[in-house]
Amino acid sequence: MSKLRFYMAMTAAKLSAVALRLLGRNATYLPGLIALKNCKDFIGFLQKPETLICVTGTNGKTTTSNLLNTVLTHNGYKVTNNSFGSNVQAGVAAALLLNSTFTGKHKNKVAVLEVDERSSLLVYKYITPDYLICNNIMRDSLKRNAHTEFISYVINTAVPAQTKVFLNADDLNCADLMPQCKNRTYFGVEAERPEELPKGQIRDVCYCPVCGGRFAPDYLRFNHIGRWHCTKCDNKSPDRDYCVTAIDRVNHTFTVTAENGEHTFRLINDNIVNVYNFCGAISLLRAFGLTWEQISSAFDAGKLVQTRYDTLDAGNFKVTMILTKGQNPIATSRVMNYVSTCEGDNKCVLFLVDDVEDNINNSESTCWLYDCDYTPMADEKIGRLIFAGPRCKDHYLRALMTGIPKEKIVLHETTADAASLVDTDTYHDIFILYDNYRLDEAVAMKKQFAARGEVKA
Amino acid sequence: MIEILFGEVCNLYGDSQNEVYLKQTLPAAEFIDTAITDEPYFVNNTPQMILLGGMSEHTQRRVIEKLLPLKSRIEELIASGTVFLCTGNAGEIFTKHISYVTENIETDALGIFDLTVKTDWFKRYNGKVLGTADGVTVTAFRSSFSFIYGDNSDCYFLKAERGCGINPDTKLEGMRKNNLICTSLLGPLLPLNPLFTEYLIKLAGFDAPAAFRDAAMDAYEQRLKEFRDPKTVF
Repeated sequence: MSKLRFYMAMTAAKLSAVALRLLGRNATYLPGLIALKNCKDFIGFLQKPETLICVTGTNGKTTTSNLLNTVLTHNGYKVTNNSFGSNVQAGVAAALLLNSTFTGKHKNKVAVLEVDERSSLLVYKYITPDYLICNNIMRDSLKRNAHTEFISYVINTAVPAQTKVFLNADDLNCADLMPQCKNRTYFGVEAERPEELPKGQIRDVCYCPVCGGRFAPDYLRFNHIGRWHCTKCDNKSPDRDYCVTAIDRVNHTFTVTAENGEHTFRLINDNIVNVYNFCGAISLLRAFGLTWEQISSAFDAGKLVQTRYDTLDAGNFKVTMILTKGQNPIATSRVMNYVSTCEGDNKCVLFLVDDVEDNINNSESTCWLYDCDYTPMADEKIGRLIFAGPRCKDHYLRALMTGIPKEKIVLHETTADAASLVDTDTYHDIFILYDNYRLDEAVAMKKQFAARGEVKA
Repeated sequence: MIEILFGEVCNLYGDSQNEVYLKQTLPAAEFIDTAITDEPYFVNNTPQMILLGGMSEHTQRRVIEKLLPLKSRIEELIASGTVFLCTGNAGEIFTKHISYVTENIETDALGIFDLTVKTDWFKRYNGKVLGTADGVTVTAFRSSFSFIYGDNSDCYFLKAERGCGINPDTKLEGMRKNNLICTSLLGPLLPLNPLFTEYLIKLAGFDAPAAFRDAAMDAYEQRLKEFRDPKTVF
């Protein structure tokens, strides 16, 4: 009976995928949802690929997943993945079923699946990853993810003990995850060790889970990311098996050192959060069996996905577009920090970060703004800050509370024509920070800027 | 003196900015940050106000463990009119008992209010509240794993016009005893509500306009309009 249900679910899901494609729509979620509606243990009936890699963690899942996919594909593997689709149970089901035959036999040897942390219990009940990477465990949407203790509990409860795990050694919330998994590889970044502790940022690591003593930072990069030791017992950040020991921002390279050697890679993107993502992916790919050179050659050809990071050189001015996940205070803070470190003496930042869905017949919860660190926007090299969208007044108050002078802030209650507020004669380095749901508007703005400049987008 | 109780671990969902906003509103006031490993300032002194923010469930149990031996001193402070503002799940420590369903843990709390709490990690509630507390209209958000049960009709903080109270079956939100204010509304309650900020500091003996009053009022009034819109989903 169960098998019959599986075949009926598979038929309905495959037909829905065909229909969606005929309509020109992505089939990255709905077929999975249909399959699960008809057969709730659908994923359990599917044959798994020879190697199953899963990616989880608060921030950097998609970047890491894309990178793993890119490197494996570059090296001749056909890879099943859900990087462009949903990362919840239905998205995972869709990715697997669309790469399976009608009888459930998997077509590709490798799958790289991004798995939302909260979906862990529903996904790992049916599939056991061979490799699982977790980049970090940080504050995320308070509505969905609540707090790091809850997310850690879900992951710890869900992941099978035989999975080989790759963990960020510089994030104590992450390093302590999944104690049942004994095959553990730690990665991290030692290069560009900061000398001062960041101020005014929330930290989700304060006390030792072993003895309750106070944790003291050896150094911190941002929030709780850094190296720690307990002031009462021997607990400390674990040693790294793969470590970024050098970052060359002039020649755009970074060096990873491990017990089995070291290698220098092209730095695809110089945001430190991505350096962590790159190092994590490299550690996993080495365990998978690729050589340093095989990985490196893919880095030479690779770039970040355009929907997350894109640039436009319009001749007389430059535009940088960066995905900035609304409701996620740490991710948003890191983007603001990154913008403050980018080149430019008089930058203009266009802020399109609000939850579109949550503002339709609704009023978005703005609590997350108060966990964001707006301090980087106070940098004197940022000359203009434009908050556009329905929550612009909330951003404005938050900016004033951070000490950003009101003279450099412009408010605009809609996003549609916000690009017209940017004076490209005055501001030559323009940054568009946009939420997931504002991608189309950000792309339209890029075109508007291209039309005003000397090139076409 | 304003005491921020265990601010480094009780700061979920923007709570830390309540302290920042108070400091900006009352630049001359003195503040003290008490770590969970230290003895609270209030044990041997009488602060004008004590702030306690939202926390994880593990931390909540640790805070209860820390404060239970200080219960009689806390009762003295409540009786003498010290202002307490406890946001998120912080107020739950003043109830009688908390059941952590997912973790299968039962904990006795301070018992200032004859109420009980049920916390379930797999039942997340997200909502909004529009209500009036002592004549002041408050707009705020709520996200929680827990609800409080029991009769708070003689000790509620505000009456909700929209949104729910301590649980979905009541419009009476939070608890209040003298100037002990416990509300499940989240962290940045003060910058979101400049009028309530002014009300609260008056209770503590201060008199000042809320910081960045014009900007705060603009944002508050927009939210008030949205919250009063019948189309807005609570």
